[in-house]
Formats: sequence, C-alpha cells, structure tokens
Amino acid sequence: MEATLFTIVFILYILSAFFYLGFAFTKKKAAAGIGSVLAWSGLALHTAALIVRTVESGHAPFTNMYESLSFLAWASVLAFVLIDRKFRIPKIGPYLMLVAVGLVALASSPLMPKDATPLVPALQSYWLWLHVSVTLLGEAFFAVAFITSIMYLAAKTPEKKAEMDSVSYRCVAVGFPLFTLGGLVFGMVWAYKAWGTYWSWDPKEVWSLITWFVFALYLHTRIVMGWKGKRSAIIAIIGFLAALFTYFGVNYLLAGLHSYA
Amino acid sequence: MRAFIRFFSSVKLAIILLIILAVASILGTLIPQGRSAEEYAARYGQISGLFIRLQLTGLYHSVWYLAILGLFALNIIVCTLTRLGPKWRRAVRPALGFEAKGVGAMKVRDKIKKNSASAASLAEVSRALGRARYKVRSETRDGRTSVLGRKRIWGIFGSDAVHLGLLVIIAGGIFSGLTGSRTELSLKEGQTLAVPGAGFNLRLDKFSTELYPDGNVKDWKSALTVLESGRPVLEKTIEVNHPLQHRGYRFYQSSYGWNWDNPALLIEVRKKSDAAYLETLKLKVGERVPLDDPAGTTVGVARFIPDFVLGEGNAPETRSLQPNNPAVLVEGFTGAEKIFSGWVFANYPDMDQMHKTRESDLTFKLKSYDAGQFSVVEATRDKGVPLIWLGCVLLMAGLVLAFYWPTWEIRAVLEDVQNKTDVTLGGLASKNREAFQAEFESVAASLRSSK
Repeated sequence: MEATLFTIVFILYILSAFFYLGFAFTKKKAAAGIGSVLAWSGLALHTAALIVRTVESGHAPFTNMYESLSFLAWASVLAFVLIDRKFRIPKIGPYLMLVAVGLVALASSPLMPKDATPLVPALQSYWLWLHVSVTLLGEAFFAVAFITSIMYLAAKTPEKKAEMDSVSYRCVAVGFPLFTLGGLVFGMVWAYKAWGTYWSWDPKEVWSLITWFVFALYLHTRIVMGWKGKRSAIIAIIGFLAALFTYFGVNYLLAGLHSYA
Repeated sequence: MRAFIRFFSSVKLAIILLIILAVASILGTLIPQGRSAEEYAARYGQISGLFIRLQLTGLYHSVWYLAILGLFALNIIVCTLTRLGPKWRRAVRPALGFEAKGVGAMKVRDKIKKNSASAASLAEVSRALGRARYKVRSETRDGRTSVLGRKRIWGIFGSDAVHLGLLVIIAGGIFSGLTGSRTELSLKEGQTLAVPGAGFNLRLDKFSTELYPDGNVKDWKSALTVLESGRPVLEKTIEVNHPLQHRGYRFYQSSYGWNWDNPALLIEVRKKSDAAYLETLKLKVGERVPLDDPAGTTVGVARFIPDFVLGEGNAPETRSLQPNNPAVLVEGFTGAEKIFSGWVFANYPDMDQMHKTRESDLTFKLKSYDAGQFSVVEATRDKGVPLIWLGCVLLMAGLVLAFYWPTWEIRAVLEDVQNKTDVTLGGLASKNREAFQAEFESVAASLRSSK
C-alpha cells in the first residue's frame, strides 16, 4: 500500500516537474497551473503515504535514510507550494520539483533499506517527532532559498534578480527560526533527556551549529550591513550546503552519536 | 575605553568571529576529538604532536576556542548594549517634532491637503491611524503638529532578545562546565551505592533487557530506589529517555554489562566411543567435579573469557565485555595429574583442540554461561541547564519578534496654511515592506476621503 502510494507520488512529482519545465520554456501559464495541481496532488498522496508508514511501523516516518529522504522530499514540496501560494513564483517550480524527484529517487534506490525496523531505545521518544520534523522542514525552506539564490545568480534581468533575492530572504526568514527550534533547541532538550547532556560536540551537533553560524552571517550582513543580491545569494548557497552536509554527509563521513539515520 | 567600545560594537567583528568559529568548528569535526596520543600518532604520524600542542585534539575545550567564544560573547554584549539605549528611548519616549521636509523625503510618503484647520485635521489623522491600529502620539509646537503612529513597537527588540538568549546560553554552558558532574555507577541487582557527593544512596532492585520479537533490544530498564539515611524515599524504573530526578541529580540508563568474575557454567560432556553417554556439569571457574567414569576423571574449569581473542604472544584475552565469543578453559585430571586441557567455545562447538597427555575420548560443549548482569547508571548534576532553557526561550521569542512582529511607523506633519492643512505623511517598516506600503496607501486614502 505504502509502496504503491510512493510510486504514484514519484510519478506525480515527475509530471509536475515536466509541466513546470514546459512552463519555463513556453511561458504558458496553463502549464504552470497543471504543474501546481500535480504538485499539490503529489503532496496530498505523499502525506497519505507517510501516514500509512507511521501506522504500519508504529513510529515516526523518519528513522532511517529511506524514511528521512522521503520526508525531506515531502517537506521541500510543502515549502515550495506554500511559497508559491504566497509569492506566485512558478519559475522555481521546475528546479524544486526536480530536487523533490531526486530525493524520492534516492530514497527508492536499492541502496536504501526500506524495511521499517523497530526503534532502538534512544529513539523511543516523542522528541523524535519534534526534533526531526521541524529540523527537516527548516532545511526544506533552506532548499528553496538555495534554488532561488542560484536562480538569482543565473537571472539576466534586474526585476527577476530582485524577485529571487526577496523570495530567497523570505525563505531564510522561515527556515532559520524553524531550524533553530527543531535542530538546536529541540535537539538540546532531547539530548538532555536521552544522554544526560544537552551538548556533546558530536559532529552532527557541530555541523548544525556551523549551519546556524552561516545563516546568522547571512542575516547580519544583509540586515545590518546592507549586503544584498550576489553576496547574499552566495552565503545562502553555502548555508544550504552546510545544512545538506549536516543532514547527509555527517552520517556517512563522520562518526558520532547521531549514527541512527 | 571609547576605542574598546568601538572595536567590540562593530558588526564586522561579529562577522569575522562567526567565520572563524565556523572554520574552527569544522576543523574539530575532521580531527577525531579526545583520543589517545598513540591513536593520533598512528593516524597522523609526525604532525600529531603539533596537533596535540595546538589543542586541536580537544578543540572545543581548548583555550583558544573558548577565547574566541569569549570575544564573541563580549562582541554581542557591547553591540547589544550600545544599541539598546537609543532603541529603548525610541520605544518609550520617541522624539516628535518632525520636519515636513524630512518626513516628505521618507521612502514611503504622501502629501494631502485638508480643507480644515490643523486641530480638526489632527483629529482626522489620529482617527485614520487608530482605525488601522496604530498607537498615536502628537505634539504641536510653533504652529506645526507632529504625529507619530506606530504598531508592534516591541518588534525592534527581537534581535536584542536573540542576543540576550545567546549570552544566557553561553553563561549556562560556562556554568555547566564549571559545576557539572557525571559519574557512572555500576550496580548489580540488589546492590546499593552511595551517589558521590550527594548524601544519598541508590539501590538497583531489578535490571531487565526487553527484546523485540526479532531479537533486537527494545529497552533497558532499571528499577531504582533512592535511599536517604537508609530509608527508601523514591522509586522509579528508569529507561533510555526516561531518567530519574532527585535533589538536583538525574540518573540515566547509560549502559549495562555482565559480571564475568564468576559465571555459572553449564558444560555438556560426551564420549566419542559411547553415543549414549551424556553428562551435564554445573560448575564455576576454579571448581572441579568428578565424572561418572570408571577411570576416575575429574573435570574443572580454569578460566572463562566472554569475548575470546588471541592477543600478543598468542595469549588468550577478552576483546570486550560483551559475550561475543565466550570460551572456557577445560581441564581434566586423574588424581592430581592433568591429563588434558583446552579451550571450548560456545559459538563453535565443533572446534576441538584439546592438548592431551593421555588417551581420553571426552568431548565438551559450553551450553550456558550465566553471569549476573549489572546496570550502568549515569548520575549527572548540571546547574547550568535551567539557564540553557531560559536562553533557548529568549532566543526563540527573539527570532519570532524579529521576523514576525515587524514594527511599522507612520509619521505626519500638519501645517496650517490659511485655515487649511498641509499633511505630509511618511512611513517606515522594519519588515514586510510590500504589505506596509499597501496599508500606508489605505491610511492615506481614508484620510483623503474623510470630511
């Protein structure tokens, strides 16, 4: 059931990306409209798939790489449809939906074990829900900021540049508080409950702090020193790459306490 | 002093420190932290001595890292304090007395002519701003009236709350580092231990490991009793994620192990020549029991190793305290003479390497090795923790204020011109400028249309 839903979600995201790409080339509004409907339907079914997964496994749907990639894809599409609803920027649709397709494809790859395994003792806590979901949602907004920052750098006209710069900042303005709350604050609370210490300088902790430093840098250079445009875009890109490394790279390249997923 | 303040109040310094902290922190994740000098020597060779001298191997507790953090904290303090005074005055006692020229040159602006005298126009401006939920102040001097309408003024303190939160978190961290303690208590069932420095005792009543059907560990549980002057005052079963709290101490299920000193062993003895022969020996290390055997053989166990491995010089030793490869050294005797000896492995029952001095067709199997388990309970005390949570609350409240409680300000200057009024409007928004622009325009429109 979950696998079927997941496959349909995959197809819907691909179709959505396809229609958004069509919009990017033909500038026909109708294509963007269809892309949006497909993204929303994919998101709805993806939500259903996550619920089914939760019910079947009896725990939060982000306890191994397959689950958390799928959840990150869900969060990224959610962030995109919300941003698009508010700012009407179907331009970012093709790239964001391609990222979602990539994440789902990665999750479906044979390298990722898909079996729902019972939770190890350390993960049996409602803080799993709070910590991981809020952090990944924050990272999803960083992902949108990343894409709009790249589009800023690639943009030719001043109007498009201004639009991308503004949307990118708005995404950081949502992502930064979420990441701070989920990644750092909830992470510290849970670490205190599970390990008896709120901070252990574990590589994943340090990398989330580094990510936080980069976005703090983004905000200070932008708000206090008035940096905008190119330099802001570059910092946002570095920030997302740091977040990506925190999420993905640390698990595979550095050993530490966070060796669950 | 002034130079000191100027240096530490600069945002440029903050940016440089953020970059240095980020780079230093990355370095600490690339070099494994807190290992032994030998391990570093093996990994990095010659340069490892330099790493250790530069404290790169305990980077996050190194003098220089803490010094950068200290500079960062000082930077935040000076930055926040130097900006706080003017902000506070702006919030509580804002200066009025605007010039039409200044207000008319603001980014968002408008000019309106009213057909009434300035007193009546002031009432209209105040009403229009009040309807849009702006708090209004006004002042008339030398025939010129200044009006200040503002909403969500507390939003300007968002960044200060974030900075204060960070400082409180850093203070909490320092406090934790100075006063925090962690002690591991290894408890056997029924054992009572004094919690060091706490003035009370802890007893382990029961330790259990719960397994999932597939054999993976579901949970470890320790039923604990807190004893004060010998009397039980608190009972709780702790498990991972559910510590016990008592008088500033917290007790965590940290790990567990086996008491391998004297496990109860069960050894099966068979004879190659007699398939019907089977004897099960129940014994401990150092004990000898006679076999039901006409030759009068006695069998004993000289050693038990939970995780057998051949170490240096092929000497048997244990790799860990987990029962990964349990083995016993079985010895057989006739009278006082040792006739055979050899290692018997629980996981490899067919491996037979008895050293025999006399003919014997006995074979052995290690059926079970029952050692009492002990639970490792981590006793922690950390008085910095409440500060950390306070800092987190300030941090989050500050972020919400800074991003989602934008201060909007509309200024107006009213000037009497022959019983009519020139109204100059100007607007200022810290965030959400598009939404503010729309609101500003609607305020101006309502003012224009009002009679």
